[in-house]
Amino acid sequence: MWKTIFRRVLVMIPQLFVLSLLIFIMAKFMPGDPFTGMITPDTDPARIEELRIQAGFYDPWYEQYFRWISNAAQGDFGKSYTYKLPVSELLGDRALNTLWLALLSVFLLYLIAIPLGVLAGRYQNTFLDKTVVLYSFISYAIPVFVLALIFLFFFGYQLQWFPTSGTVDIKYDNGSLGYIWSKIYHILLPAITFAILGTTGVIQYLRTEVIDAKSQDYVRTARSKGIPINKVYSRHIFRNSLLPVAAFLGFTITGLLGGSIFIETIFGYPGMGQLFIQSISGRDYSVITALVMLYGFLTLLGSLLSDIIMSIVDPRIRID
Amino acid sequence: MNKKIWALLALLLALMLVLGACNNDGNTSSEDPPEGTTTDDGETDAEAEDTEETASFPLNVENEGDVIDGGTLKVALVNDSPFQGIFSTVLYEDGYDADIMEFASNAIFQTDGDFLLNGEGIASMEVDQENNKVTIKIRDGVKWSDGEPLKIEDLIQPYLIIGHPDYTGVRYDVDFQNIVGAVEYHDGKADTISGIEKVDETTLEISFNKLSPAIFSGGDGIWTSAEPSHILKDIPVADLLESDAVRRDIVTLGAFKFDKIIPGESVQFVKNEHYWKGAPKLDQVLVKTVPSTSISVALKTGEYDMTANTFSSDKYPEIEDLDNITVLGRNELYYQYIGFKLGKYDIEKSEVVMDPNAKMGDVKLRQAMGYALDVEQVSEVYYNNLRERANSLIPPVFKSFYDDTLEGYTYDPDKANALLDEAGYEDVDGDGLREGKDGKPLEIKFATMSGAEIAEDIASFYLQNLKDVGLNVTLATGRTIEFNSFYDKVQADDPEIDMFMAAWGTGTNPSPSGLYSKTAQYNFSRYTSDKLEELLAAIDSPEAFDSEYRSGKFREWQEYMSENAPIIPIQYRLELRPVNDRVKFYDIDYAGNFDLNQIELIAEEPIKSTK
Repeated sequence: MWKTIFRRVLVMIPQLFVLSLLIFIMAKFMPGDPFTGMITPDTDPARIEELRIQAGFYDPWYEQYFRWISNAAQGDFGKSYTYKLPVSELLGDRALNTLWLALLSVFLLYLIAIPLGVLAGRYQNTFLDKTVVLYSFISYAIPVFVLALIFLFFFGYQLQWFPTSGTVDIKYDNGSLGYIWSKIYHILLPAITFAILGTTGVIQYLRTEVIDAKSQDYVRTARSKGIPINKVYSRHIFRNSLLPVAAFLGFTITGLLGGSIFIETIFGYPGMGQLFIQSISGRDYSVITALVMLYGFLTLLGSLLSDIIMSIVDPRIRID
Repeated sequence: MNKKIWALLALLLALMLVLGACNNDGNTSSEDPPEGTTTDDGETDAEAEDTEETASFPLNVENEGDVIDGGTLKVALVNDSPFQGIFSTVLYEDGYDADIMEFASNAIFQTDGDFLLNGEGIASMEVDQENNKVTIKIRDGVKWSDGEPLKIEDLIQPYLIIGHPDYTGVRYDVDFQNIVGAVEYHDGKADTISGIEKVDETTLEISFNKLSPAIFSGGDGIWTSAEPSHILKDIPVADLLESDAVRRDIVTLGAFKFDKIIPGESVQFVKNEHYWKGAPKLDQVLVKTVPSTSISVALKTGEYDMTANTFSSDKYPEIEDLDNITVLGRNELYYQYIGFKLGKYDIEKSEVVMDPNAKMGDVKLRQAMGYALDVEQVSEVYYNNLRERANSLIPPVFKSFYDDTLEGYTYDPDKANALLDEAGYEDVDGDGLREGKDGKPLEIKFATMSGAEIAEDIASFYLQNLKDVGLNVTLATGRTIEFNSFYDKVQADDPEIDMFMAAWGTGTNPSPSGLYSKTAQYNFSRYTSDKLEELLAAIDSPEAFDSEYRSGKFREWQEYMSENAPIIPIQYRLELRPVNDRVKFYDIDYAGNFDLNQIELIAEEPIKSTK
């Protein structure tokens, strides 16, 4: 298995290389550059031109690309034109924010979805089942920004149960207990929104799997051996039904790491999705390319992760 | 089992309630204002058809009540992305950073209503016109927020940063090069700027290559704020942007000082005990980023006392009826305009070359277009009257330069038709659209920017206006254009563009030569004439140190531009600032004497709206 993982990682390198080339060329094709937005009567066009030359925007694209890729290979992704910070530092802050949000979201997602899915499957066609299905359809149909706004206005502003923007309350000192709690508190509402919107897939998969599994031979065998029904569900059916869900886990996590533009913008939460959109409209080339590379890497990693999880959950599957 | 079902049911019910409640809430708040506004508009229409005034807002607000001791002012920075957090006047580029820095300003001059430097700030200035010299004197006893006294070196520091070869900002420009010795310093040939000289502990002398009246507006290369040299002088200029001195531990001169910063999100200020006008009455100011989607609700529920930047006018109906805030308004340093392409910019010669055969070359055609546009209706329908028709290329804020007698282009389709007939744009083939003077079809391509939700609507409204007078105007590229491409095309004199709609934020120096002179790259309409050059030169000439002469020339220039219509001003914009009722007094008048150290609060928490 380790050999396979190693091989998969190796294959990623040319894939990422092609991706970076494409992204770099396309980014350069976009009209304007980071300095276009600086046009005001007070800025001197000659100075802007000078800055463009300094930044190397007039060099042929392959020279620019080569310069960039050789620096990137050494871990230097350049500086953000907008934030004037090294890209790695900027991404580091944002990625950490997004990571915490993603982890809590995934946790809440499964916390809601797994019991609902299993129960719906077990009590198929009952009122409970129909309610769960109805819920999952509703949550599937609501657009992200609508639910996010409703939650923010109701729980944030109306009831004032949750903070309404940012990642942490400024009154706490970095590293203190209050600081950590404040961080979690700020993530909670966006994470709940995330989780509720993501449950549909998991619930539906689980429900179908459980329904299928009920009529399987091994279930009947177990029952005829006199194993109590609750135990059959918790030991036999549950484990088997979880397979397809587990298969998606890798993608779910890496998908969430990409961040959500809507959630981040509405909750004023500085994460990666927001940074990505902002860097595109501001033509912040170094950030755009670094982010796309990161997304590409995460997607490849996600599929690898899913395969590994599958082989752990289901001993019949071996990757080699 | 039953228990579980009930629990689930309860959850579902709760969810539905939440959705229901919010829907109701949304409905009432979205239904009420339109009803109110329609009746309001109806009334004003009926009462005074001709005197369509821009909604008027007070410049200041006073609330009655007992003042509390200290307190924290909560300020919302309306911004959909994190702020950049570069807190230095020589380095920042983002307007949001500037909005935050206001609370801890490093400005050494104060300005009057026309944004002219007066002697009431930390520093005062004397101009020696004969010798092109400026003498700056600073007050005694002014201290930085860390207790260090303000020195002449602190006034020199910004020049040393901007002029430095490693400086990567936009402020090293033609104006800056006007300082004697700036170029040599920038090229690394000198260690200091020879034209900047410390005379004694409170006096600084700066020599310029030439001086114009723009010096009083902070132009010509003079720098109007100080930087703490005792901290910055040891940091290499190349490392400054990433240093804590501009991002975390910032030393300032203003009423409040930076206490804590969460990058991109919030800034906590505490009062600056050393503030030269006296320590503020407030204990703290908290500035926090709030997404534009929720700012109205945040103001309604009393989450914030005010906004640090403009409250967007298209959201005004959402806060119009709130009873816990007063909305203040002032004219912005801004005008929107329509420009006509009349030539090209010759990059090699660095000058504008007019094209005698330009499609928009006939002045009557341009004037007719000005008269054809119903700007007032756009202000009313799309901007809730928070914009007004512009009559001049100088915003009215500059009281002594703005020509209020200028009529500009009012909506008058008959006049537009008459002008077009006169100029020879006849409808030859009878299809309702005028042909060119040569009898061939005339198609004018109009470039507008995308972005705002209403951009498309407004563009089609104006197109319809022009069609009403028989002009076939279509959108360049067929749709509204994204900001970056728009300026790329306009700057490159793309043949696809005959006219374009854009805007300028003018800054505090009203001198128009940077935008309209023969050599200016920003002269986007590429219009020039001897008379125009003469007027522009006169505005910044030595004679113009006489303020009456200068404002006379300003007026002459405005009239000349209006008459020749290479660009037609369209709208001015109002800048709105909602202020919560717990703030005792607040004033946004540019000419006022209000200072942040006077802010007082009359309640422990911001007041909530009852609506």
